[in-house]
Amino acid sequence: MRAWLAGMALLLALQGALAAPPKVLRYVIPAAETGFDPATARDLYSAHILQAVFDTLYTYDYLARPAALRPQAAAALPEIAADGRTYTIRLKHGILFTPDPAFGGRRRELSAADFVYSWKRLSDPRLASPHSWLFDGKIERFEVVDPYTLRIRLTHTDFNFGMVLAHEGTSAVAREVVERYGDAKGEVAGHPVGSGYYMLTDWVRGNRIVLTRNPWHLPEVWDFQPSADPDDQRIVAQMRGKAIPQIDRIEVAVMVEDQSRWLSFQSGETDLFWLDGPLAPKALVNGQLRPELARRGVQLSRQIDPETTWYYWNMEDPVLGGFSKERIALRRAIAMAHNVDEEIALVWNGQAQRLDYPIPPGVVGHDPNWRSINQYDPALANQLLDRYGYRKGRDGWRTTPDGKPLVIHYVSRAESNGVLQAEVWRKTYNALGIHMENERMIFADLLAAEKQCKVATRNGQWLADYPDGDNFMQLYYGPNTHQNNFGCYADPEYDRLYQASQQLPPGPQRAALYHKMTRRLEAMGAIKMGYARWRNMLAQPSVLGYKKHPILKQEWAWIDVDQSRLSK
Amino acid sequence: MFAYILRRLWQMLPTMAGVVLLVFLLFNWVGGDPAYILAGKMSNPEAIANIRKQLGIDQPYPVQLWIFVKQIVSFDFGTAWSTGEPVSHILATRLGPSLTVLVPLTILETAFGIALALAVAFVRGSLTDRAVMVVCTIGMSISILVYIIVFQYELAYKLGLFPVQGWGEHFAENLLRYSTLPILIGLAVSIAPTLRLFRSFVLDEVNQDYVRTARAKGLSEGRVMWVHVLRNAAIPIITYVMSNLPALLIGAFLLERFFGIPGIGREVILAVERSDFPVIKAITVYVAAATMVFNLLTDLLYQAVDPRVQLK
Repeated sequence: MRAWLAGMALLLALQGALAAPPKVLRYVIPAAETGFDPATARDLYSAHILQAVFDTLYTYDYLARPAALRPQAAAALPEIAADGRTYTIRLKHGILFTPDPAFGGRRRELSAADFVYSWKRLSDPRLASPHSWLFDGKIERFEVVDPYTLRIRLTHTDFNFGMVLAHEGTSAVAREVVERYGDAKGEVAGHPVGSGYYMLTDWVRGNRIVLTRNPWHLPEVWDFQPSADPDDQRIVAQMRGKAIPQIDRIEVAVMVEDQSRWLSFQSGETDLFWLDGPLAPKALVNGQLRPELARRGVQLSRQIDPETTWYYWNMEDPVLGGFSKERIALRRAIAMAHNVDEEIALVWNGQAQRLDYPIPPGVVGHDPNWRSINQYDPALANQLLDRYGYRKGRDGWRTTPDGKPLVIHYVSRAESNGVLQAEVWRKTYNALGIHMENERMIFADLLAAEKQCKVATRNGQWLADYPDGDNFMQLYYGPNTHQNNFGCYADPEYDRLYQASQQLPPGPQRAALYHKMTRRLEAMGAIKMGYARWRNMLAQPSVLGYKKHPILKQEWAWIDVDQSRLSK
Repeated sequence: MFAYILRRLWQMLPTMAGVVLLVFLLFNWVGGDPAYILAGKMSNPEAIANIRKQLGIDQPYPVQLWIFVKQIVSFDFGTAWSTGEPVSHILATRLGPSLTVLVPLTILETAFGIALALAVAFVRGSLTDRAVMVVCTIGMSISILVYIIVFQYELAYKLGLFPVQGWGEHFAENLLRYSTLPILIGLAVSIAPTLRLFRSFVLDEVNQDYVRTARAKGLSEGRVMWVHVLRNAAIPIITYVMSNLPALLIGAFLLERFFGIPGIGREVILAVERSDFPVIKAITVYVAAATMVFNLLTDLLYQAVDPRVQLK
């Protein structure tokens, strides 16, 4: 079937492009995919494919910063009732699923019912979807008004719900495909049939994924408006007026090892790839491309990822937790003693930016002018500990106010970055005279321990699911303990402010609440913000119009390849 | 003979039982709970409990162990927890790429090892012999990672003699284009220890009485080595080669990772990283079974090579 699809697609593409050879983009991912069912795919790299093959109601404007919603399968942005609880969405007409035997030989148009069906799959207990949280507790009812109109009634006010509808987990699948190809659980991981820009035409699991342009996709023209970034003018000049998508074929290779990815790009076997931390010094100097790469015409698209790394201290821990003055002083002293810039330099080769605010740049609600009250000041940190009874013994190590040995159990992952981070933290604790023990865990055990509030302290990491500050402020919300409130921080004042913020759209009122919440976290010593990492994408000279989007997993539909400048 | 074979097959059962128990205990002790990974970022205790129920890991340990035993007997290990792909499909599709690299590697390693061992034994005690041994020692002291990184950088990237990585759609392309460098690296890594080992086997025979007799009869040194010595040295060589054959089933982890070969070795690493117990179970059981079967075949081959050997 895939071969037939590939053949038909290629034939149609070739017909449309007269004698022009197909445009091919070679991309590489550093970890294997798991599967392509929107309801169950849980890893970042499978999401690359989902975004290409399936349609969501909304997506994000390619150039707008901060990220802005844009209709995809929907005809326009949602009509939101004044109370923020009712969303009415109208679909474009004529969106077709790619042909499949499941449709019995007929053309199958995407309808509002398909979206409702797909969303209900997220709460099917057999599928155990990792995306059920998108709708859990939020939906009063879905209503299919007509084949092209649906209405969503929420349980509470939420002006950001449109962003949920841009998450690839909410992609539309066809019931017939699930019924024909689903396994015993109803999962269709190996036979994705969507209505997106591309179709899956070849797949060797964990090795190679080939997507071919969907010739049945509704015609679109590239017409994004430039943002304030001066480089957007170049992109607009290269792409404006072109049909979307330009690239006929995407070849995604799985390369786990850093050297393999780097050499593959250097030798011209890869057109576009993510230059992650350990590889950064090979290509960058002070955030700029090395001269030899720049001379070759290699392009760098660089931005701060919509993510945060922060340091938390478990509020249920017998040594670190609680709201007594002594415990608050202990946590704030540790926060003030940690040199975040040193960690960035040592662990990430300088490829991160220190943060003061819990919402990173590029996410709605970020405040670039915010300054934490727990600035790096090891001398002051030591004075604070002295003042609150954490005295140093003869051996140089501090004790608790009641005279017991003070030992902090820092938990890290077992691989190299985790070990490095632990050693950086050991230096911090040594500067305070606090004895630190490092417990290393594999990822699965660490997750389990965190959700059971058994991790005393570690670095937390969070990548935005949608570009709104709520996605980050919920990390410290009390009822999210045992979920993603890793520090098990339960503060009625913070919770009250968070609940009030959820009733507001983004703006000065909500920002004021976020300021209070952030200051509360700092004053209680619940967390210390760390950093957000740079995302460096390298592209060959032949790639046109490329700019890394902060939220979208890939930008394949909106770029082009100049065949005359291909390296290989 | 038949009774011997039956007895050996019967003896495999307690060994397999030990393997099953060991892998079950190890996984449940250090393998990690996959439910937390599968539940995703925004999971709650109810979602995790549901996943544990779906996977069957909420059952008591004796029940899980019994299910494991039934899976072995029925050759059906279900589907991978992380991808939903049938385990049988994983094994069937990944074994081919691994064997495409490892079978030629094994053949070349054995052939070169034997030829070089005989040649070195021919000049035993000489400067050439000593120099070869020193080179072998140095070669064995270098990690396979160094070989991979250097060969990939120099031969593939710098000189462009081979692709940096990749795997094609056709057997001939995979064997002749994509496997060549991994095989070359595997050969470079394995030839040193293989040569040293085979040399010692040959030298054990060279000083035997029958060799002196053959020389006294006027046979050429070449005939003495290739016909008489090799035949007797073949037994330990066969043992060595046969004992390494089950390793073909678990692939070459590092070669597959660096060169993007969709083999079983890489699948094993993925399964461990993801705490994907069905895949780990299946591969462990099949490798254990293969090891026992190959050991039996080795003993049977002994008798074919040396009729003096009696199997009791």
